[in-house]
Amino acid sequence: MIHILGRTWGLLLFLLFLPTDVSAQQNQDETVCIQCHGGIPGAIGAPVRQWQGSIHQRHGVLCFHCHGGDPTDFGLAHSPERGFLGAPGDEDVPKFCGRCHVGVTEDYFESAHGQALGAGGPNCVTCHGSHAVQRATSELINPQDCTRCHEYGRAEEIKNAIAGTEAFISSLEGDVAALHRLGIDTSRLEGSIFSVRNEFRRLFHSVDVERVRNETDNFQQQLGVIAGQVEALQAELARRKVWGGAVVVLLILAGVLSLLLYKSYMEGKEG
Amino acid sequence: MGSRRLFLTTALGAIGAVLAFAAGWPVWRYLSPMEEPGEEERIALDREDVPLGVAHFFRFRGQPAVVLQSSPGVYYAFSAICTHLGCIVQWLPEQREFLCPCHAGRFSPDGRVLSGPPPRPLDSLPVTVVDNRLLIG
Repeated sequence: MIHILGRTWGLLLFLLFLPTDVSAQQNQDETVCIQCHGGIPGAIGAPVRQWQGSIHQRHGVLCFHCHGGDPTDFGLAHSPERGFLGAPGDEDVPKFCGRCHVGVTEDYFESAHGQALGAGGPNCVTCHGSHAVQRATSELINPQDCTRCHEYGRAEEIKNAIAGTEAFISSLEGDVAALHRLGIDTSRLEGSIFSVRNEFRRLFHSVDVERVRNETDNFQQQLGVIAGQVEALQAELARRKVWGGAVVVLLILAGVLSLLLYKSYMEGKEG
Repeated sequence: MGSRRLFLTTALGAIGAVLAFAAGWPVWRYLSPMEEPGEEERIALDREDVPLGVAHFFRFRGQPAVVLQSSPGVYYAFSAICTHLGCIVQWLPEQREFLCPCHAGRFSPDGRVLSGPPPRPLDSLPVTVVDNRLLIG
């Protein structure tokens, strides 16, 4: 009996501390792309090392999702018949990334950046990097990077125009994450914020300061609605805390009264 | 002694009643049947607003939704929120499919996932045709 209990506890502890992304990690390691390129030093293996820890890796976007090919077969991994595309040329990068990032690519192509593609203009990886790509923030707009191609002035204007809305989005994301940690189902709120954030980032990929300024109010309004929903949840939690406190006080009071009642009966018996 | 006991018993009973109510209220709320959507929570649209092959976007209970006439007299209504990360889908009339601009999730006119990362179809909404109107919800 003791052995069975011991084993059960052991199993429970094992399950408790089992990393949740084990199967995802195994799937990633099972692709022949990583098995082969991951072990090669230098430029051919570098993309795997850069990709590890990237936002794509964290979200399960593997080599073949972008580059095509058969990730289960060494012989067919580079086969054009299995959709292998290899690495795109500089001018093909926006369309390459745009197969998934559709909206942002649309706005990029209409922007001064997109119009200058092929004439020294930047493509996606110029600002975001390629394999080591991280979650985009407004910090990508900075003097060091922007002045590689042009003066910083206009970029700074855009950064200033988006700063308030970006801060609003970050603060809402923090509030929602805090609610999630308290056990609230925040998936709908997260979706709403993600949607607004994505639309807003589409907007500033237009690199059109006036357009950003004109449309910012609309985004602030949408974020305001989400903030109202977050505040309603926070108020509900605060109410629950007050009720919880009141119940605890009543329980203590009931305990004291029960004790006094018991004492009065005991005194009656003795008397 | 009697009045003291009476006071203590009454106070204890009152506290017990309040605690029983506090414990029972959430259970009651949880077990109570959810309210059916009333007429005012449904959206009524003229059929003329949704011509063949055109997707009509509207707000449904504060969320974006879409209704589409995919073939003559056949209407589908969905939440317009992509089931992947929550972006709003677009209708591409030439391709006759919905596209999520965030990560290229594609959905058929009846809401099924055609390709991309969405884990499930678009959430459908009931559509009833009454005379020349569409009742959604």
